[in-house]
Amino acid sequence: MSQFIQQVILGLLLGGVYVAVALGFSLVWGILNIVNLAHGALVIVGAYITWALFTRWHIDPFLSLPVDALALFVIGYGLQRGVINRIIRAPLLFTFLLTFGINLIIVSLLLLIFTADFRSVTPSYSGNGLHLGNVTIPYIRLGGLAVALLLAGALWAILNRSRIGAAILAVGADRDAAQLVGVDLRHMYALTFGIGAAFAGVAGGIISTFQSITPTAGNPYTLQAFAVVILGGLGRVSATVAGGLAFGLIEILAQSAPGLESGYANAIAFVVLVIVLVVRPRGLLGRLA
Amino acid sequence: MSLLAVREVSKRFGGVNALAGVTFTVEPGQVFGIIGPNGAGKTTLLNCISGLTRPDAGDIRWEEASITGMKPYRIARLGIGRTFQIVRPFPSMTVRENTAMGALFGRTNGRLQPAAALAEADEVLDLVGLGEKRHHTVLRLTVPDRKRLEVARALAMRPRLLLLDEVMAGLNHVEVEQALEMVRRVREGGVTIVLIEHVMSVIVGVCTHALVLNFGRTLVEGPPAEVLNDPRVIEAYLGERYARRQQPPPHPAPKSEANEEG
Amino acid sequence: MIAREERVPRSLRRFAVPLGIILLAIAILVPLTSTDAAQQAGLPLLADKLWFRIATTVAMFVVMASAWNIIGGLTGYASFGNVAFFGLGAYTVGVLVSNRGWPFPLALIVAPLTATLFALIVGIPLLRLRGHYFAVATLGVGVAVGEVVNNLEPLGASTGLFLPIVRSDLLFFYLMLGAAALAVLSTWFILRTRFGYGLLAIRENEEAATVIGVNTTLYKVAAFCIAAALTGLAGGIFAQWNSFINQENVFAISDNVQMILMAVVGGAGTVLGPVAGAIALELIIQTLAGGGSAAVYAQIGLGVLLAVCVIFIPRGVIDFFGGQSRLSLRYLRQTLRETSA
Repeated sequence: MSQFIQQVILGLLLGGVYVAVALGFSLVWGILNIVNLAHGALVIVGAYITWALFTRWHIDPFLSLPVDALALFVIGYGLQRGVINRIIRAPLLFTFLLTFGINLIIVSLLLLIFTADFRSVTPSYSGNGLHLGNVTIPYIRLGGLAVALLLAGALWAILNRSRIGAAILAVGADRDAAQLVGVDLRHMYALTFGIGAAFAGVAGGIISTFQSITPTAGNPYTLQAFAVVILGGLGRVSATVAGGLAFGLIEILAQSAPGLESGYANAIAFVVLVIVLVVRPRGLLGRLA
Repeated sequence: MSLLAVREVSKRFGGVNALAGVTFTVEPGQVFGIIGPNGAGKTTLLNCISGLTRPDAGDIRWEEASITGMKPYRIARLGIGRTFQIVRPFPSMTVRENTAMGALFGRTNGRLQPAAALAEADEVLDLVGLGEKRHHTVLRLTVPDRKRLEVARALAMRPRLLLLDEVMAGLNHVEVEQALEMVRRVREGGVTIVLIEHVMSVIVGVCTHALVLNFGRTLVEGPPAEVLNDPRVIEAYLGERYARRQQPPPHPAPKSEANEEG
Repeated sequence: MIAREERVPRSLRRFAVPLGIILLAIAILVPLTSTDAAQQAGLPLLADKLWFRIATTVAMFVVMASAWNIIGGLTGYASFGNVAFFGLGAYTVGVLVSNRGWPFPLALIVAPLTATLFALIVGIPLLRLRGHYFAVATLGVGVAVGEVVNNLEPLGASTGLFLPIVRSDLLFFYLMLGAAALAVLSTWFILRTRFGYGLLAIRENEEAATVIGVNTTLYKVAAFCIAAALTGLAGGIFAQWNSFINQENVFAISDNVQMILMAVVGGAGTVLGPVAGAIALELIIQTLAGGGSAAVYAQIGLGVLLAVCVIFIPRGVIDFFGGQSRLSLRYLRQTLRETSA
């Protein structure tokens, strides 16, 4: 029984990571209708920044998260404003290809700068955890979950309780109408993407604490973010939270099934994806169309 | 034998009853008008007949055989053509090619090859008045012309029943007259027509029979003039107080204010 | 935004036939020249095995880009998982030849069949999805199939499969060329038939297509299967040609993006677009890759190329051959304005 509880807890903790990763992705998709294939790369950039700060100046990874957010916001804003905005009214295929290209470029640049060597961030408390009876909860993971939930709350607050958020939602609902009431579309697009990137960066910072990072480590996260959004639904922060936690649970529980070791992470994501798309396209908590 | 029979058709979307027990029949040769205020369920009804939506309850029969829930392409091949309220042309094809598509796929008997379909298209285009513009791209067409194209494509299917969804929307008076002329010509060609409209004068102008839908229910059915002067219809469109004020005089004038719609 | 030509554009038509014959002659006859003879005649290029390798790779991408074009360009369903068909075709040949001792020609016939069967199975549920959803669902298929194969012992797992080496640059060049010709001819033929028009209708407006009588499900699945068969064929040839296959070289998502890019840059929806795109892009990529510290710079190059093409020439290069557009600053600016925020 405690084995099962351990699994559930691990699943939720993993789910927290997925929530963090998927929040930015979901925002950009929901508002801008862009499925950002470079999202994973942005996550890894955040991870590298945290690693660099940790290795060079011994800054605790959790303290470096705001730096990740800021840096990625700038990068994201620039990307959208300078590049992605150019094809935002073109058919979907082109956004895909473009973001894939951006992904290639970012990953390649990371390879040049950091080489393919695996890097890790190991603060002094990384081995320790909370002991509850037979169950152990690593502090790192707990911290990650906490940050993820904080991020979700922050996003919710931004969208629902601030003027900027209202503008973002307006752009997402009807870009022409938003323009008519004075919203600067180009700026709002860039702002939204920037926020999404910032969240990705923070997620990367969290990931660096428990995973060894390498330039291509971000790719699986893009597909998984997609699966989370499909599973949870578009249109609400709570949907992404539900999707992320559920996905984490599914992955952990699936891996404990006989015959499926960790090599099948992507396959699991995909199967979940297709089942949801065919059975309940709007996901657990998504809005209808 | 009636051509199309709709029996007790109902459809819900979420909490809304788009259609609730709609029943009527369409006889061959009729120009059957369906009117109703916005949201009355007219387009949903068309979608059910043409197969794009599946009714939750009820039955739709084509010449006594049930077509409820049939795939749209099969309904098309039975001889039922339709247009869309917001036109849906094939943007990269010319007017001629667009029209030919109807002939290529919608025939009830045998399949045409592309060359033959294009020849068919030429005939149809002359009928709707787009003959001169056959090689134009869709982008260059005006709104009335796009509507004509939509009709042409459906006609190229040589349908026995044509469902027209608010063909008149957005047209000015002159264009409406032209469109009515076109509808009359189509009817003369032997096609039964079901016409969804919002504008009363159209119904009076060309329909042989009319049905009023309101909140998904049939309100009144009968000859257009009768239907339009029915107090229940007036009330649905213009409100209760207006209806009371409009107590019909002993011999109602054929063109009372109730016939003019915005 | 996707270019479409019903007939070969006028400006090309004049040169098309003589040019085509000349190119075909070169492609077929020149390689027959034995490499020794080429050396003696002082034509080192033709004696170079590298030339054969590049030419065969180009032909391979012509097949893949043309095949993708059928489901992505003509039908409008941009699949990001076509590479799964390539991999399935490759592993079919790999398993049959390596594990079962089948003769290569026999295995090569089965390769497209496996791919088609798979396309049928996944296509029916997946083709109900549109746009984003279809794209990423197919991406998921491509990744997942590769992953599954990578884990299965009988298929060599992560080590991969080795096939008995067949040394003949000539043979594989001709095989790939044949497959390429098949792919291009198929596209050309499809566009002349009712089926082709139906696919275009689905792309342009699927709901309208269905109410005029197009059996959209049947047509979409058929297009998907045709694309699968062609791609699987290419994969099967590759397996024996390369003598070694694993997840990395036959289930590479970057290959999928490459085939899409080639079709789009050349001109999605046209017959010759994917050919032009494949030739142009593969030559560029090979040049970039030949530059030493290679892979990384090649990747950056590809990424930048992708971005530039997608932003500036969305309708593809073939647009310039139709006589309607010329590559000019004005064209670029106009395209930009049409798609920018």
